[in-house]
Amino acid sequence: MIRLLSQRLLAALPTLLLSAIAVFAMIRLIPGDPAALMLGDQADPASLADLRHLLGLDLSLPTQFMRWAERALHGNLGVSIRTGEPVLPLVIDRFWVSARIILIAVTVAAAIAIPAGMVAAWRQNGKLDISLVSMATVLLSIPSFWLGLMLLYVFGLKLGMLPVVGYVSFSENARAALLYIVLPLATLVLHEIGILIRMARSSTLDVLRMDYITHARAKGLSEATILRRHAFRNAFGPTWTLIGLMLGNLLGGIAVVETVFTIPGLGRLLVDSILGRDYPVIQGCLLVIAFVYVLINLVVDLLYPLFDPRVAEQ
Amino acid sequence: MNYRMMAVLVATLAISAPACAATRVVVGLTADIRSTNPGVNRDDNTDGVLLNVVEGLVGYGEDGDVKPLLAKTVTVSPDGTLYAFGLRDGVRFHNGKELTSADVLWNWRRYMDPKTGWRCLAEFDGRNGLKVTSVDAPDARTVVMHINHPSTMFLETLARTDCGMTAIMSPASVNPDGSWNRPIGTGPYQFVDWKPGRSVTLWRFADYASPQGSAMDGYVGLKTPYVDQVEFTVVPDPATMKLALETKSVDIAQLLSSDVADVKAAPDLAVMTVSDSSRNTLLFQTKDPLFADKKFRQAIAAALDYKELVDVASDGLSHPNNSAVFERSVYIDPVQRQGFKTDLAAAKMLLQESSYRGETIKLIANKRSPMPSFQVALVTQAMLLAIGVKVKIEVLEWATQLDRYNSGRYQMMSFSYSARLDPALGYEQFSGDKAKEPRKVWDNPQALALIDQAEKTSDQGARRKLFDSLHQMVLDDVPLISLYNGVTVWGYNTRVKGFSPWEGKPRLWDVRTGN
Repeated sequence: MIRLLSQRLLAALPTLLLSAIAVFAMIRLIPGDPAALMLGDQADPASLADLRHLLGLDLSLPTQFMRWAERALHGNLGVSIRTGEPVLPLVIDRFWVSARIILIAVTVAAAIAIPAGMVAAWRQNGKLDISLVSMATVLLSIPSFWLGLMLLYVFGLKLGMLPVVGYVSFSENARAALLYIVLPLATLVLHEIGILIRMARSSTLDVLRMDYITHARAKGLSEATILRRHAFRNAFGPTWTLIGLMLGNLLGGIAVVETVFTIPGLGRLLVDSILGRDYPVIQGCLLVIAFVYVLINLVVDLLYPLFDPRVAEQ
Repeated sequence: MNYRMMAVLVATLAISAPACAATRVVVGLTADIRSTNPGVNRDDNTDGVLLNVVEGLVGYGEDGDVKPLLAKTVTVSPDGTLYAFGLRDGVRFHNGKELTSADVLWNWRRYMDPKTGWRCLAEFDGRNGLKVTSVDAPDARTVVMHINHPSTMFLETLARTDCGMTAIMSPASVNPDGSWNRPIGTGPYQFVDWKPGRSVTLWRFADYASPQGSAMDGYVGLKTPYVDQVEFTVVPDPATMKLALETKSVDIAQLLSSDVADVKAAPDLAVMTVSDSSRNTLLFQTKDPLFADKKFRQAIAAALDYKELVDVASDGLSHPNNSAVFERSVYIDPVQRQGFKTDLAAAKMLLQESSYRGETIKLIANKRSPMPSFQVALVTQAMLLAIGVKVKIEVLEWATQLDRYNSGRYQMMSFSYSARLDPALGYEQFSGDKAKEPRKVWDNPQALALIDQAEKTSDQGARRKLFDSLHQMVLDDVPLISLYNGVTVWGYNTRVKGFSPWEGKPRLWDVRTGN
């Protein structure tokens, strides 16, 4: 196991290096100058030259990359062009804010959606199936920013049950922190439920058509036992893979929800940095996201045998 | 966060106000501040927050004239190259130390050190003409600055908000290694804490010494901090900001003009619209073969219905101002109030006489909230179609548009200029040598000479004549069309009294809270 883990982590290094080069090059291909953005519409050439020099933007691109890569290898991702904060602590700090919310949201969504998807498949074309699939389609179709605003409107403004703006971290006050993340969590859960129900239903339908399910029924096993013991483990594989992808995608994709709910997370940091051409922060965010992606996929692969014994045998 | 400082502040507040509950006002910020370092790493939001904390030797008054702030007197030598600042007595920094001329010298040396990265360094080191040749402190209460030639822009630039008002801060604001720590200023509020991405907290400075005056006056005049705690909370989404105001999660918030009707109708909420000296404009690239033709530019100017355009773009909250001089300026006069005349027949005739042959013009705009760039572009497109000019709008993200603006790569652009209070700076914003600075719109030697003269003349009457001449030249040459001054919309809870933003920035002194 440790050997496999080391192999996979080593194999991730070229991926991370390629990501770093691609991100470095691509962000500089986009028009826009961080120094000009900082100085605004009245940037005289002398001030622009000063600031570009101060930020190291007057160096050639290969030199900038080599400097950045050299520092990155020593665990230093530079400082933010916009705020002057060290990038690594900033990105890690924001990563944990987003990661907590995403992990809880995806766990809750999976806990609701997987049984629902399986039941829908079991009752294929019945009223329950049609209701669940319709609900999933509606949830999938609603943009998350609109859903978030509606939740804020109802639970924040009309019912006055939950705070509308602000953020409190768990280390500051766990109870208040919970109150502040209820609505963003609900938004993410409702959105992700739609995707997971459809996936769980589709993979369960495939499994329920298998001969061994017919055999189990012929043996006289109850439907609940067939679903739990025989269908679930085989149908869960594709959904588990999707959950892994979902966790990675949400690290960047949560930006809209973070903006609506004023959460200082990684997604919002990334979007703000792109708009402000804050190259070191963009690179730091994307490097962290790439690393987490690799890590999540590794964890997903390592846990796969728990659900599908055929993978363990291979 | 310096916890020792925090503890001292908590104790101070507890001792100073044992009997009554601390008052608190929450202000919504549309974006986080960039840093706590005034004039160095900043934007409008940063200036808006920090100018409650720090002050300079001089500051802007309500109508854009520069007045003493930390200085009690400003004496200019007859030849206009020596400025003597007499400091006010009894002014203390937030750490309790008294302000002296040595502090001013320390700040000036810090600003002039290129390592500081002060935004306005080039304005004072000779690269843009003006140079501060020496700064001395003959005694503890006097600072003397020598400049290389007479310039009315010297005090103006010291007072500029984007220069951080050339804030005088305690040397304890930086760490022993010279790196930035926190602003320890002399303003009505003291900086307590910045949680990046979340909030900035300020506390009332109990020992604040206000400049003389009977009322608020821009960044000078009477400044009395009443509220114990001010919290700026970051709310980037405009719809969430409106909800936050309605739920009383924030007391004061900058809103979109389209939200005015809803907020006005809400109980316990009020709205105020405040104009400033920023300008929404249409820029023409006069190096473009088509826009080099003055008749074509004049045809466009005559085709626009300014009242209607401004009504649509500002949701009826503003009115046209075709001048580079902002509407509350002391230099506004009947000449400056003359605008472009809307005349479709004349526009069509000018178009016929011009080199326009039915080609499609590209008009660049952005959708950066709350800027009206796209709305202006849309209405312009429709109005120009009425005289037969085809316009295609190209919407760019702000950083990309700024890049095109700086490089001059555009035909026509819907662009908002940041605030400039002195008309000389207002004209300088768009006038200059295109070969050296491609962002400049008006490359007219005669105009540049007049602007240069205005920068060196201190007599108000003489300056007024110069600005009037410049305005008439703009109306004839049409290098750009100034449409209207910026307008910011603020919603606030009616429990908050005395809130009066200025130049789009929230001033928290004089603000009180009711029940």
